[in-house]
Amino acid sequence: MLKNTIVVILLIAVLCAVQHYSVSHLAVFGVYPDIVTIYIALAAIRHGQKQGTSYGFIAGIATGLLSGNIGLEALTKTIEGFVAGYFHIPEDSHASSRQKRQMYYKGVFLASLFGRALHTLMANVLSLPVTLHVAFSIGVGTLLTMIVAVIAYQVFLKKIL
Amino acid sequence: MLKLIKFFGNNNAYLLLLLYCGIAWMLIRFEKSDPVNNLQARSTELRAAFSQSLSDLGHYFSLKEENEKLALQNSSLLGQIIHKNNMLRDSADIKHLDEFVENRPVRLISARVVDRRFDTRENILIINAGRNQGIKKDMAVLTPDGLVGRVVLVSDNFAKVMPVIHSEFGVSVFSDSNNTHGVLRWNGKEEQTAQMHYVPVSSPILTGETVHTTDFSTFAFRGITVGQIVEITPNKQFYRINVRLGVNFSTLSHVLVAEKTTDPEKVEIIKDNPAEGENSPQESNP
Repeated sequence: MLKNTIVVILLIAVLCAVQHYSVSHLAVFGVYPDIVTIYIALAAIRHGQKQGTSYGFIAGIATGLLSGNIGLEALTKTIEGFVAGYFHIPEDSHASSRQKRQMYYKGVFLASLFGRALHTLMANVLSLPVTLHVAFSIGVGTLLTMIVAVIAYQVFLKKIL
Repeated sequence: MLKLIKFFGNNNAYLLLLLYCGIAWMLIRFEKSDPVNNLQARSTELRAAFSQSLSDLGHYFSLKEENEKLALQNSSLLGQIIHKNNMLRDSADIKHLDEFVENRPVRLISARVVDRRFDTRENILIINAGRNQGIKKDMAVLTPDGLVGRVVLVSDNFAKVMPVIHSEFGVSVFSDSNNTHGVLRWNGKEEQTAQMHYVPVSSPILTGETVHTTDFSTFAFRGITVGQIVEITPNKQFYRINVRLGVNFSTLSHVLVAEKTTDPEKVEIIKDNPAEGENSPQESNP
């Protein structure tokens, strides 16, 4: 259990760095996919809501340290982990791979949507008119995150879920 | 109490959420406070250090490309420098030639040395002036420093010049102070030194005297500087005289071609009776 937690925390740290130093450079009109969200959702789906919430908080602190917005990042990522935790698939579950996939997509989608919404509402960084900005940032951000989530699932997450 | 514990047990995810959200809210609320500011300052420092390392790493991988770019830029700049230096040198040479031409009553055509072939005996220069520019065979080629050679072959826009440092070249010369005459030839040894022949040991010639072309020459007009006497060694009948040539052939770039207006009657006489022509046995006529 402890070993797993350490591995997850290390992975979160690495992903936060990758997100900050490389994925954030793939911005489309200032919005980019969030691989940390995908991982938090995956962790919440695999390990449960409590763990998902905790991992979200840790990831938020790490992301905040890199972005310079610790409080906001911690809050949004915690919410993301908590939301994705509703789609937890217990280890002894007999869910089919299709059901697991659906749970994964739903978890990532809702986590991203909630996270984006909260983040956008609290930090209007693009300085666009609020309605347009909210719609744009939440919609495009979630879409981009979902695209990466689908690719990640098809490439390697399918095997571990 | 039991109910409260049961509530916590059942809803610990919510409590955890509340706890984390509370901490996050505190971090947002006290964003400007010293501890959070310090934390953010440290994280910024860490981030900057990491960014610098990443940037250095990226820079390291792009070094090859950057080096190639710099090399290309260097070669381009070098090309420009060479071109500009050539222009400067050419303009200085041309200015020098112009001044020389202005002080000469003889018609002079300026040209640039475009090719040269130097070996032990068969040295040849090619200049970028030919028939179209008024160059004819057997014209004298010179610079303000002295005689370069004679034109031996002419095409429309180029001419081949046999320089003084050619084994078959010869020209009548005289020393300036006491008018001692001789024939200048090159023995194929030192590039800057030619030999003055047929100067009797009775002649009052001295080292340091300047040697010029005579009017006997079939191609050069009188008075073109050839060089300076640097060594005189008496032999049986004649002196062995070394003349340091005025022209530095290794740096020669621009020349003047002079047309000698020789009386055709004189040429005719020389041709008909070479024994009587003063320069015929001495000067080569390739």
